[in-house]
Amino acid sequence: MRALNKKLVELFPKDIYNSIFNGSNELYLEVNSREILKICTYVDTELGCPLVSMFANDERQLHHKFAVYYVFADKNRSGLLTLKTMVSEEEMTIQSICNEIPAAALYEREIKDLFGIIPKGHPALKELIFHGNWPEGKYPLRKDFDTRKKVHMINKKKEFVEVKGEGVYEIPVGPVHAGIIEPGHFRFSVAGEPILHLEAQLHYVHKGIEKMCEGESIEKCLYISERISGDESFTNSLAYCQAVEKIVGVNVPTRAKYIRVVFAELERLTSHLGDLGGICLDVAYGFGAFQFRAMRAWAYLIADELCGMRFLRSVNRLGGVRKDFIVGKEKSLIEQLNKIRTELKDTAGILKAHSLFIDRVENTGVLSAGIAADLNAVGPPGRASGRHYDVRKSYPYEAYTDLDFDISEHNNGDVNCRVNVKIEECFESIDLIINAIEAMPEGKVREKTDSVEPHRFAFGITEAPRGENIHWVMTGEDNTVFRYKIRTPSFCNWPALCHAVKGNIVPDFPLINKSFNLSYAGNDL
Amino acid sequence: MQYAAYVLIQLLVIIMLAPLLDGIIRKIKAFSQKRTGIPLLQVYYDLLKLLRKTSVVSEESTWVYKIAPYIVFSTSIAAALLVPVTTKIMPGTLPGDIILLISILGLGRFFTMLAALDTASMFGGMGSSREAMVSILIEPSVLVSLFMVGLISKSTSLPQIMQAMKGIGAPLTYPVFVMIFLAFLIIIIAESSRIPVDDPSTHLELTMVHEAMMLEYSGRHLAIMELGAMIKQLVLITLLVNILIPHDQLIAVTGIGALVVSIFIYVAKVITVTIIIAIAEVCTVKLRFFSIPNLATLSFILLFLGFLQYFILGGSNV
Repeated sequence: MRALNKKLVELFPKDIYNSIFNGSNELYLEVNSREILKICTYVDTELGCPLVSMFANDERQLHHKFAVYYVFADKNRSGLLTLKTMVSEEEMTIQSICNEIPAAALYEREIKDLFGIIPKGHPALKELIFHGNWPEGKYPLRKDFDTRKKVHMINKKKEFVEVKGEGVYEIPVGPVHAGIIEPGHFRFSVAGEPILHLEAQLHYVHKGIEKMCEGESIEKCLYISERISGDESFTNSLAYCQAVEKIVGVNVPTRAKYIRVVFAELERLTSHLGDLGGICLDVAYGFGAFQFRAMRAWAYLIADELCGMRFLRSVNRLGGVRKDFIVGKEKSLIEQLNKIRTELKDTAGILKAHSLFIDRVENTGVLSAGIAADLNAVGPPGRASGRHYDVRKSYPYEAYTDLDFDISEHNNGDVNCRVNVKIEECFESIDLIINAIEAMPEGKVREKTDSVEPHRFAFGITEAPRGENIHWVMTGEDNTVFRYKIRTPSFCNWPALCHAVKGNIVPDFPLINKSFNLSYAGNDL
Repeated sequence: MQYAAYVLIQLLVIIMLAPLLDGIIRKIKAFSQKRTGIPLLQVYYDLLKLLRKTSVVSEESTWVYKIAPYIVFSTSIAAALLVPVTTKIMPGTLPGDIILLISILGLGRFFTMLAALDTASMFGGMGSSREAMVSILIEPSVLVSLFMVGLISKSTSLPQIMQAMKGIGAPLTYPVFVMIFLAFLIIIIAESSRIPVDDPSTHLELTMVHEAMMLEYSGRHLAIMELGAMIKQLVLITLLVNILIPHDQLIAVTGIGALVVSIFIYVAKVITVTIIIAIAEVCTVKLRFFSIPNLATLSFILLFLGFLQYFILGGSNV
């Protein structure tokens, strides 16, 4: 990271004011807000570091200014490069970078809604979090916004992108759907059955988690982080723990690191098996669907046996895990995993030999490599579109450094590739759990954590079942959290979904949607 | 007198048997998925429960929406009366023939589609347009298959066709009828909205065909609509088994005993075909919507091959 810092400082001597190294893999550069577009474009295109997160922070208590952070992933050096610019209260605008870096478009809209910082030059500044019912001049994530006061909602007309032409019409779907799923409004512009454009309006379950965490104790925020999204409890709390552990400077015991790998992979296994079942169900292949559901239930039983909670809550603690969940259960665990592997092997064989099934999934919902790169598609959809990137390899954390595993890669970007990635990752997860159990050293599972210093910050980055998961924590006074920025993989992949469905027919949308498996709760926060 | 007895037996058998077929298909699917599944008679309980409930009717809808269930039900019943379940009790002549049968079923479908459009809900419109597409694609096969049978038996009246088939004995030993049998199986699957054309158990409103049109219906209206659809499915199966697998010539006993035996054999034949449909449902997945023409083409090609075989190669043997 020092070499990177040197290079950038040499290139932009006037515009980089300050560099801060935080641990071995985080570099923060304070840059001139006028030149942000130039520097961001250089980092993104010349250095090949994609924008992975972008957020604002109300730092008026510290230096009377707002700060905007642009986070880039330097995958080769396993580092995160963060550019920080200051925005004064009088100004309240930033230069939009989304014309050069398309992935920034959603982040800029989010910042505008929650902080009131206007990105100048943004081509489509529609409200993201609110749906035309939030009054002007109220910005929830500013420190002076009082959550106890009731906000009087207003009613503005909702606007959607209009596609005009002969025979083109709109299909509004949701936010309430026929099945028991989360809310989201989809507006299809179609000509007959083929989809010309899809606009997804989400954030119906915006709960204000980031605001809720501000001022809460760091222990309580762990509790909240487990509840961001039901099926990602473990990975979200792990990312939070990593960030806080880095700030505190505690060394997690090796055994705890292995136990964390076991749970993280168990969560991935259940999530992928559930997806595969859902994909089968969406093409009305009942046999496959119930095979995968049965296997997922077995995986849930393992989770239940290990920690008494199928959704893996209350496993993580700051500095380790709550107790030694694995001891004494190794044999039964390996036995049950082998049972799942045998069944999975058979089912995957039947599935891949089913020509009608393959016909449905092949070339359906193609996410091209170019769009995947532009929008920074992560996780299985990214890996199915030729992005050879997995946080476990590029930013090894916990015991992944010591364990041997492969990441799958497919290039066609269709539903079939996503199915294959998920099947391969299921096998990989089973192997990883077994290897982790066998390689696990004896020892304690938790290190006591001290109180945290105020205004320190760090990233926590994990590979969630859905992809790269980046959390940023800044501590406040008295062991509290000052700012907690959560960026789940779903936030990156939702726009990718909207591109992948173009040109497909309406009845194929549920299948494509299922193959992306995006979380609403994890996106809406 | 005989007329009244015929109508009574027809209605009793068809209405009582129709929901059972859905129960059987669901049970077989459940077994393929290692589940016990719902009880065989659950479909009946569901219908009775729905019949007792009030219907919620959209304020935006017109009279079309309200009368559609009754029209769908009555057309199904009318169609059922045209297709005898047994030749053991049958009036000498039945009014109407296969052309009327197809038209009556078409009328029911027309009102289902109108009612779905009437509510102005997005999914109703989508369901209607898809149903129209599927029915247009499958209609030629329906007509050709029935006309071929009519051509061979030199009549379009169903009782006379059935008599002629009885004369042939075992039609399925002739290639032309095997082709018609297979083509008609595809027709039944498409007409009764089953996998691979449609998925009757899906909750995904964007993929639905038949279900999308039913989406707005509730309570009594829904029960009548669903029963109407089940009866239609049974009428088509009856048409298939009673034309291509005639059984009344095998029964030795006479009088009321023959009638009972005949109905039992009929039920057994229907259940066999239902099991074949269920197995087809288990083994296939829902086709991509624009692949449905391929299925319709397959059915038509089968008929065409049968047609060629009959007229060019060995027609006179039949």
